Amino acid sequence: MIELHHYIHYITVALAAGINAIGVGLGEGTTGSAALKAINTQPVATNDIIKTAVIGMAIVETAAILGFTVATLLIFDTHFAHPTAFSGIAEIGIGLAICLPGFFIGIVSALPAHYACVSLARQPFFGKNILRFMLISQALLQTPLIAGFIIAIAIKSQTTLGTTWYDSLRLLASGLCMGLGSIGPSLGLGIYARTACSMVGINRAVFGKLFSFTLLSQALIETSVIFSLVIALLIIFAHSTTMTQSIALLAAAVCTGLGTFGAGIGSGKTAAAACMQITTIPEEMPTISRMSMIAQGLMDTCAIYALIISIMLIFFH
Amino acid sequence: MEALDLLEIEHWRPFAYIGLEHPFFNLNSETIIYTWIVLFIIMSFLIFFHFFLHKKESLVYSAVSLLIESFADFTEQTLDFFSFNHFSFIASLFVFIFMCNSLAIFPWLEEPTNDLNTPLSLGIISFMYVQWYAIKELGFFHYAREYFQPFFIMFPLHVIGKIATIISISFRLYGNIFGGYIISTLWFSLIKSSFFLEIAGLLTGNLVVIFFFGIFEGFLQAFVFSMLTLTYLSLALHEEESFQTHESSS
Repeated sequence: MIELHHYIHYITVALAAGINAIGVGLGEGTTGSAALKAINTQPVATNDIIKTAVIGMAIVETAAILGFTVATLLIFDTHFAHPTAFSGIAEIGIGLAICLPGFFIGIVSALPAHYACVSLARQPFFGKNILRFMLISQALLQTPLIAGFIIAIAIKSQTTLGTTWYDSLRLLASGLCMGLGSIGPSLGLGIYARTACSMVGINRAVFGKLFSFTLLSQALIETSVIFSLVIALLIIFAHSTTMTQSIALLAAAVCTGLGTFGAGIGSGKTAAAACMQITTIPEEMPTISRMSMIAQGLMDTCAIYALIISIMLIFFH
Repeated sequence: MEALDLLEIEHWRPFAYIGLEHPFFNLNSETIIYTWIVLFIIMSFLIFFHFFLHKKESLVYSAVSLLIESFADFTEQTLDFFSFNHFSFIASLFVFIFMCNSLAIFPWLEEPTNDLNTPLSLGIISFMYVQWYAIKELGFFHYAREYFQPFFIMFPLHVIGKIATIISISFRLYGNIFGGYIISTLWFSLIKSSFFLEIAGLLTGNLVVIFFFGIFEGFLQAFVFSMLTLTYLSLALHEEESFQTHESSS
């Protein structure tokens, strides 16, 4: 007899692997076409372009591998041989925590590889440094994905304990918080990394300045992901003994998840504009970077308001 | 399908007879054995190379010197100066992680990095190294002043940001290697089911699985790990310069 929770279990497994694969496929496709166009315009740098594109695609692949890992763990774990309605609800949380970051990171982390190929076509003898720049920006860009993976594993370790509606709603809330909260920062990081990688191709003299500025800005854009991670972990280990408390936890999840959306995209755009300014006026870099950091700090306060309300909802409901 | 023992870990409890039975004192036996095998392999390679270093015209000598020179160049380019301490730390991190990741190319062996404890301890080691050298170069008060830039309120954000680097650097390594481990385990359990599949698999897929997940992915992740450590190090050491340019401009 097949019941509803069987459908939920297998659909979650399919979502975790499938939606990540869609994002990764789209991303790798754009990278491949950009590499071919770059070879067409600059045949001298063919070897460098192929090397950059292959390494970039291998890093984009991380999203698909992590989604696959979570799906396999869900299928083969013995505790899920007889799923109940409660574990089914919690599994939706696992699916949301891994597939929303995976989809967006899959598309977005291909942008540095794409624009690194374009830059290589402009600067064919600067290949080593462009490859290094691409690797660092891609590696930093994938932080939301890793946070989602951590939350998925943390929820999975708790699902066997959940035997009531309250517990399963609590775990669903945690996954929802991480999934929603990773969308905005991912897009912001993508906007920034795209601009930075194409600016290296325009002015190679500012490589050193852009390198340190990239590390600082990406760390600042990522703070809102860390807020979502903190709230998701707090929700997992919170106590909920009544239905009201579980609904308060769901509200906290939605609050932080939506609150970080604008902060992520906004600070990504600010940092991208600052990056363009540094490329055109390299000697004004200290002023520009300080201005951009202050603006990003102000934007993060919006996320901090959402964080404070969420913490109040978790502890003082 | 029956469940695979993907997550089962054997434990040693060496302190159980004096009453310490908390899970904190357990040792994951397989991880420790495989780590010792990795160390043994690296040691035997070193002895082998050391034997050949006297012959200046041999192939091994030129290969080893090429490898070391490229690593030294790489460190110098990122840090803007050459330091033997940093070079040896980064190179040994890279060699150890690469050997750990590609241990699965030998039959019956597994990567020690597919247990979370190994990447996490490596991440903590690299974090501590970077912080120690930052304090040593900048002085404690200057180092502590970085936490209160640009405003006093930013202190918790700086602390969370520093700790998040450990988590992201170690979980990136763990997730990739663990995914590769699951895929290769599934593949080998699939081809074990019939004799014909095993022959066909030995001829085609094993090479792909071993070389992609063992060599290529292992090399890439080890490179990313050591590269990120080097970049954090250079950022921490050059903090002073950027601060001075800030003050002189304003």
